[in-house]
Amino acid sequence: MNDDDRELDLIRKQLRSALPPLSDSELKVDLWPRMLRRLEDSPAPFGWFESILVGLVALTLAVFPELLPAMLYHL
Amino acid sequence: MKDHPYLRAYMAGVLLPSWFLLLVLAAFLFSHFAQLGPARLESAIVFPMAIVPNLWGLWNVLYISLRLRGRISIGAFGSLLPLILVPAGVALASALDLHFYTVRQAAAILPIAMIVYYLVWKYPVAFFNRIVELRS
Repeated sequence: MNDDDRELDLIRKQLRSALPPLSDSELKVDLWPRMLRRLEDSPAPFGWFESILVGLVALTLAVFPELLPAMLYHL
Repeated sequence: MKDHPYLRAYMAGVLLPSWFLLLVLAAFLFSHFAQLGPARLESAIVFPMAIVPNLWGLWNVLYISLRLRGRISIGAFGSLLPLILVPAGVALASALDLHFYTVRQAAAILPIAMIVYYLVWKYPVAFFNRIVELRS
């Protein structure tokens, strides 16, 4: 073992003593079912009221296209 | 993911207007280079760029922090935001001497903006809140 090897060995030992091994690195719970539940959470239904609102906005902007820049200004 | 609920609410609120800003910016640039829009239109970009996204984020933080879920739907709460934004937009346009946006136009756009905000807050913003595990 030459000087370089000894030095590397010393550094390795010091690093190991400074950083204790992680005893419990595994997750305690599986996160995937939670993620699936969140993705499957049913959103609010898009009903007739919302359809009327969309139609109203589309109609207004079609009849008064000069309002479109003002609308963009607020989005 | 239980920590920092207000930061998560802010990020969920800011996301959509930040994406939409790219479209707005493209429209502004197109109108500028095609010389279709009125003069000094580019000064107006500061409003959708700086103020609108931040107010969306803060509005969502307010909704979460006041625990309004159950009392008022997020769509209805979002539809109230134009009541602040539209006057603020008029004030800024007036301060910057931008004549393309008048009080009359603002009054005309207010109900439309409220409807659009209602829909956008009810669906995309509520979806983003669910993704960051905020109940809305």
